[in-house]
Amino acid sequence: MSSAQIEIQLIASLVAVACAIPGTFLVLRKMAMISDAISHSILPGIVVGFFITQDLNSPLLILLAALTGVVTVVLVEYIQKTGLVKEDTAIGLVFPVLFSIGVLMIAKKANDVHLDIDAVLVGELALAPFDRLLISGVDVGPKALWVIGVILIITIVLLLAFFKELKLSTFDKGLAASLGFSPVIIHYGLMTVSSITTVGAFDAVGAILVVALMIAPAATAYLLTTDLKKMLSLSILFGVFSAIAGYWVAHQLDASISGSITTVLGFLFLLVYLFAPSKGVFAVMYREKQQRTEVSLLTFLLHLKNHDEERERHVNHLNEHINWQKVRSKTVLDLALKNNMIEINKNIVSLTVKGNAFTTQAIDYIITNEDAQIEDMKDDFFLFRG
Amino acid sequence: MKQNIAVQVDDLTVAYNYKPVLWDIDLEIPEGVLMAIVGPNGAGKSTLIKSILGILKPIAGSVRIYGKSYEKQRSLVAYVPQKGSVDWDFPTTALDVVTMGTYGSLGWIKRPRQKQKKAALEALEKVGMLAFKSRQISQLSGGQQQRIFLARALVQDAAIYFMDEPFQGVDATTEIAIINILKELRKAGKTVIVVHHDLQTVPEYFDWVTFLNVKKIATGPVRDIFNDDNLTKTYGINYKVSIQE
Repeated sequence: MSSAQIEIQLIASLVAVACAIPGTFLVLRKMAMISDAISHSILPGIVVGFFITQDLNSPLLILLAALTGVVTVVLVEYIQKTGLVKEDTAIGLVFPVLFSIGVLMIAKKANDVHLDIDAVLVGELALAPFDRLLISGVDVGPKALWVIGVILIITIVLLLAFFKELKLSTFDKGLAASLGFSPVIIHYGLMTVSSITTVGAFDAVGAILVVALMIAPAATAYLLTTDLKKMLSLSILFGVFSAIAGYWVAHQLDASISGSITTVLGFLFLLVYLFAPSKGVFAVMYREKQQRTEVSLLTFLLHLKNHDEERERHVNHLNEHINWQKVRSKTVLDLALKNNMIEINKNIVSLTVKGNAFTTQAIDYIITNEDAQIEDMKDDFFLFRG
Repeated sequence: MKQNIAVQVDDLTVAYNYKPVLWDIDLEIPEGVLMAIVGPNGAGKSTLIKSILGILKPIAGSVRIYGKSYEKQRSLVAYVPQKGSVDWDFPTTALDVVTMGTYGSLGWIKRPRQKQKKAALEALEKVGMLAFKSRQISQLSGGQQQRIFLARALVQDAAIYFMDEPFQGVDATTEIAIINILKELRKAGKTVIVVHHDLQTVPEYFDWVTFLNVKKIATGPVRDIFNDDNLTKTYGINYKVSIQE
């Protein structure tokens, strides 16, 4: 690996981490589209900043552009508050206009400078190592690395300091307000950090793909965990993995780095969406099938408990009586046998002591309206699940 | 004997988009009552609580908690929002949600430690939810979620409790468990204010009641003012409830 390659991967990874942190909270606050709005509407801020500073990595430019991001949020909320249009419409109104103003400004004024529409949309990560930061003549690395590094450090410090406040106001705005943690301050704090991160990442991955780095890792992590801290760690992990894997995909295909990173993110999400252990599509399908069988089993056991007559408990009778298809009654019968809930003697089915205990307890729960408890009880009684 | 006034509301007017939802409310809530706020949908019951707690900004009027502004008395007040106001799919556990009740006493930046965890565990035990402490909150039933919210308020160890429809969507067992805890709070000298929907249970559960429909209709002891006259004034139609003696 050449040092330029290492530098590109390092920049991409830091961008991914810096995006994943605010992204996690945006996803939980159902504000994913706001990051899309911010990433586009900071363009005029960048252009104006560029006219003033003539340097894409100047702190002043970053602040100016971030300010445009916050202004976007304010505008969206203002339009929404009038009650004339809904939030998604307000977002759709504000950011294309601001973005277009940026595009026009580039076309009219910036033709002779290093700012073109392609770079704005998808970034130029491959060129990042060429723009070096020189401190008294000494090369200390690519400017982009320093910019995103500083932004990342600020983000991490803020996260560590205000984790509790962010969590509380994201989960329960009302309680946060009543306890004196102003949700408005936290909201705009998060919006400011998101804007600054977006500007810092903009140069590397562009306006369209910075959204993917904010939202996709967090959305993927959300499917895998029920713990906020783990969700943050997983988002960061997925972001960094996609950044590095994306770089090598781009290397192999000789294609855009940011495009490849986003494609990897998309595949990663698809994989998790299908195969996540509890929320994935297949897990849900499997669980539904299991529950159907187990509800049938419970119905069957209740039937046995209700009827002492042999006529009602004959194997053949069950098909017509409970009105199940042959296959289903066989599945249920087998499951009951495997779990030692029933015994079959000369084709007459009866409950075992264990089966009786299970059914009695289940009835208690059903009568007292605590059906949910039956699920916990299964862990004690079942050797095999449906 | 003159009772202390726990909550005093003067000339409170609140509007959404310039349409008043609460109109010139004067209200005195004495210390140590268990009070129901009743009124039809859109009467401004939740709005009243939220304005007292500073969550909504009124366009006029003032609120005093034991004679001082709410900002100065936050530590005296606990709040249980409507269950539907939060996203129960949020990645967190029952214990963590209850621990959030301690954040107010911690203030900014400081993290909860052993002491706060212990208080949260005790509150979980009080509402009979200790066994569920590590459960992800979406895995809890509606009644269990409401108990978690109650535990979160208990952990604040406040003097005044505001609850927004704590009985909504809970089963009978939970309803009894909750009302018993509320009665215990009153016994301990706390003031409990509950937005309530089920008029039938008002005389059984509460000793104080406020009728609200954009304006305040009446407030006082249940045995004196919970009658057909006030119910009709509040709900607009001929409202009859059989009141238990």
